[in-house]
Amino acid sequence: MAPRADVVVIGGGHNGLVVAAYLAKAGRKVTLLEAADQVGGILRTTSPADGVTAPGIAHTVGRLRASVVKDLQLERHGFEAIMPAVRMFAPQLDGPAVTFWADPARTASELRERNAHDAEAFSGFDAKMRAIASFLAYVNVATPPDAKSPSIADAIMGLKLGKAFRDLGAKTGREAIRALPMAVADLVQEVFDDEAVRGPLTTRGVLFTSMGPWATGTAAVFLNDSAGTDGGAAGTAVFARGGTGALAGALESAARARGVDVRTGCEVAGIRSKDGRVRGVTLADGTEIDASLVVSAADPKRTLRLCDPVELNPYEVWRAENIRQPGATAKVNLVLSGLPTFHGGDAERLQGRIVVGLSIDHVERAMDANKYGRIAEDPMLEVTIPTLTDPSLAPEGSHVMSILFQAAPRHLREGDWSTERDRVADLAVKSMERFAPGLGELVEAREVITPEDMETDYGLTGGHAYHAEPALDQFFAWRPLNGEARYRLQIEGLYLAGSGAHPGGGITGGPGANAARQILADAKR
Amino acid sequence: MAKRYDAVVIGGGHNGLVNAAYLARAGLKVLVLERRHILGGATLTEEIVPGFKFSVFSYVVSLLRPEIIRDLELAKHGLEILPLDGTITPLDDDYLWRVNDHGKNVRELRRWSLNDAEVYEEYGQLMAEMGRFIKPILSIAPPDPGTISPRHWLPLGPLAKAFRDLPKKMQTTFIQLMTMSAADFLDQWFETEPLKATMSASGIIGTFQGPRSPGTAYVLLHHYMGEIDGAFRAWGVPRGGTGSVAYAIADSALSLGVEIRTEAGVARVKTAGGRATGVVLSSGEEIEAGVVMSSLDSRQTFINLLDEGELEPSFRDEVMRYKYRGSSGKVNLALNGLPELACKPGVGPWLRGAISFSPSLDYMERAYDDAKYGRPSERPYIDCIMPTLVDPTMAPPGKHVMSCFVQYAPYHLEGGEQWDDAKREAFGQNVIDTLEERFPNIRSLIEGHQFVTPKDIEDITGLSEGNIFAGELSLEQLFFNRPVPGWARYETPVKDLWMCGSATHPGGGIMGAPGMIAAREYLKLRKRGRRAA
Repeated sequence: MAPRADVVVIGGGHNGLVVAAYLAKAGRKVTLLEAADQVGGILRTTSPADGVTAPGIAHTVGRLRASVVKDLQLERHGFEAIMPAVRMFAPQLDGPAVTFWADPARTASELRERNAHDAEAFSGFDAKMRAIASFLAYVNVATPPDAKSPSIADAIMGLKLGKAFRDLGAKTGREAIRALPMAVADLVQEVFDDEAVRGPLTTRGVLFTSMGPWATGTAAVFLNDSAGTDGGAAGTAVFARGGTGALAGALESAARARGVDVRTGCEVAGIRSKDGRVRGVTLADGTEIDASLVVSAADPKRTLRLCDPVELNPYEVWRAENIRQPGATAKVNLVLSGLPTFHGGDAERLQGRIVVGLSIDHVERAMDANKYGRIAEDPMLEVTIPTLTDPSLAPEGSHVMSILFQAAPRHLREGDWSTERDRVADLAVKSMERFAPGLGELVEAREVITPEDMETDYGLTGGHAYHAEPALDQFFAWRPLNGEARYRLQIEGLYLAGSGAHPGGGITGGPGANAARQILADAKR
Repeated sequence: MAKRYDAVVIGGGHNGLVNAAYLARAGLKVLVLERRHILGGATLTEEIVPGFKFSVFSYVVSLLRPEIIRDLELAKHGLEILPLDGTITPLDDDYLWRVNDHGKNVRELRRWSLNDAEVYEEYGQLMAEMGRFIKPILSIAPPDPGTISPRHWLPLGPLAKAFRDLPKKMQTTFIQLMTMSAADFLDQWFETEPLKATMSASGIIGTFQGPRSPGTAYVLLHHYMGEIDGAFRAWGVPRGGTGSVAYAIADSALSLGVEIRTEAGVARVKTAGGRATGVVLSSGEEIEAGVVMSSLDSRQTFINLLDEGELEPSFRDEVMRYKYRGSSGKVNLALNGLPELACKPGVGPWLRGAISFSPSLDYMERAYDDAKYGRPSERPYIDCIMPTLVDPTMAPPGKHVMSCFVQYAPYHLEGGEQWDDAKREAFGQNVIDTLEERFPNIRSLIEGHQFVTPKDIEDITGLSEGNIFAGELSLEQLFFNRPVPGWARYETPVKDLWMCGSATHPGGGIMGAPGMIAAREYLKLRKRGRRAA
């Protein structure tokens, strides 16, 4: 007879670990199955050289939900957040860089020399973004309503959200409604004059997406980036001591401490169901595990592909196949023999995110390439040097430079990723050399994680780190699909708890925590 | 002493005229003031080349609300819409030709893709149903999300219920239409490039967006809401050009007692104590009015016609940040014969419909890319019709008029440059070059031409930045955000100054709905005021 668990969780990324820990905390017997030989998903680290730890995909963890840290006692399990004073350093081709600090007043005061108008506007913009983001934080903890048959719980949630909305005041409320469907370029352009301020801000609306800053809905991505955290206009820049993997380790430890059976190297080949009800899973090696609940932290398309198509009707299969997950981000990790010198960038300014988004047009052009299946020649980059705040990640004197590269489409029209891999690293270094001359000579080792690798090694369909494009058509009550946003998918007993569910991607733990709450609430009924 | 009217309507375009007619129908004494010598605004027929009548700007009709046609008895007043049959997309060695005959379309599509032929009907039905579902929105005054007043929200009740009662499939489609890009939306069904590209064109017309820009699926739907004689998604040309729509409405308005003055540009809205009391004409003449209805866009109305001190600075800022960004131009050609398509030679019914230069989504998107960076498209999307084939009165016998809607022609040019005669000429010649690739003999047929840039649209019609919809149809500028968040109910912060043009919900196109709803809302308020008094 097959071994049995109350709950099988598919996928040991951060959301899988979060949902497993919460369910175990509520007394469920949980088995978590991770296909890779270590947990972490996009938090996993790599080792591009001896003694070096580099972040696999995600390199910052600033959006992690505070209640998750508290509920799962992550600090006791070894998680330590490093919060540098700088959020974003934006080097320029002509003239001094622009630095965005955690303290908006400091940002504004430095901006004054460059552009008095923008300096004046910055604090107001920051405050407005915080106000709207604080409302979004309410939205993000909510289980989206069921438009078809709203329940009393939905009504209560609606009232709560309504109250949070009214608390914004009529003016900010109208602003919030206006801002959400906007293009981040518009949001930023109507306030700031200076491209050196606009460009870096817009990158936050398009990172990990395949959209350019002129795309409607990127303002929502921008605002979500700050929702529930101390992000403001500059976004967050928070590292985990010991690397992103250390956060995964803390989550794993918290899950195990609550009794979760965490198994790595266990790839799920199928979700078994009968008469519309989940029975368990089958592993790639043929082993079966019975469970009355299967919670998938894998992306929604992958999850639904694991199901028996006979259990889903053809329309639902068609819908699932139309979930959009166009990955357009590649990762380049460089091991450096020393700290590169940036024009105007002392070591303190380099501790957060270094952003190459020179203007709205630059970012837009970089993302244009994606539309035609090309790699951007002059990419948009988000770079961190985690060794600056955590020297333990590399041998003394060495540094790790982690570069998120856009656009690098999952599907190339010409050539394929086996030949284009090196070009991404070359282009990234070439771009950075403009701001940090001599960078190339410091490179001791490098690795590229292409969107194809993200699909094959990390299990992300389409190579999309957010599981499903965070566009307005895959948002809130229709993420990942209309009628499937309440974490429960098609088949009874099957749940989605990954980034493909509300509130979406990024290291928040939000989908996992929300799903756990919904699963427990459904069980009570 | 200044003359006094119950209502003065600024602007003699179709919305201004519709508004005036409805107000007069309710017994008000109404005056319409038009700056130009000719009525119509962007709904204009003008004889630019002797003997050839051009529909200078807008050139087809479908969105005009049927209740307006009925209420104002427009047929009696000379409106006749001649249906256009189908769309042909010429390609290098082939073409895609769709007509108003389902069987023929399926057979045509089968040449391209069995899948597309099969889902074409399903798609068409779904869109028609969506159009029917969304139609009531076209006659609602949007609520203010900053208030909980039931007066604002109750009209939405039936709609919310209708949404809840929709089958999930249609709910999903509705959500997608409100949020997706036209390309993503169409990709779910179709695989034939020229088909997707030609269909996506409805999603970008008049906007500063490309077919891959999220939000364009809505514009697709906006264009699907059209109907002629109850037939959805049917487009036609008015006999005598689009200007005859304006003249039919004007004729109806006159019969209802409206006074109409042309060459009577308004210089300023007069105010007293935060209330509009009338208008001052460019000539200095003053006219008193119980209410001033502006069919102009919000920038023209609030920035140009009002003194700066009349408005809160924050309101002015909101008006100023409203997006116009005109993106389209027109090329109108007087031809001394019919041009032939290289891919489908001869003269036949395919020339009687729209000829769409939209071979692939990439072609359309590239056209947009050029505009994004401030250049007219090197190879633009062109929607070309020859109205003389259905309405020979538009040109001398045997001769033809070709109307080409061209996108993109950005109002704001690269490096802050301005449109001038040389740029207009280059723009027009480039369009003719593009036409020539499909109509090899066209140059030899041209007797005269008119090139219209977004700057010309602005100069002639007064539409800011040449935006044909009086404000970009992007999600944050629709419904309760149109034209200013909190002021979407046709009233403005200046009492007795109202908006009634395309700048307000439900937006542009020859629809007439803004003019009609504004009149209705004003009359309701007036009645309530009377009762209170």
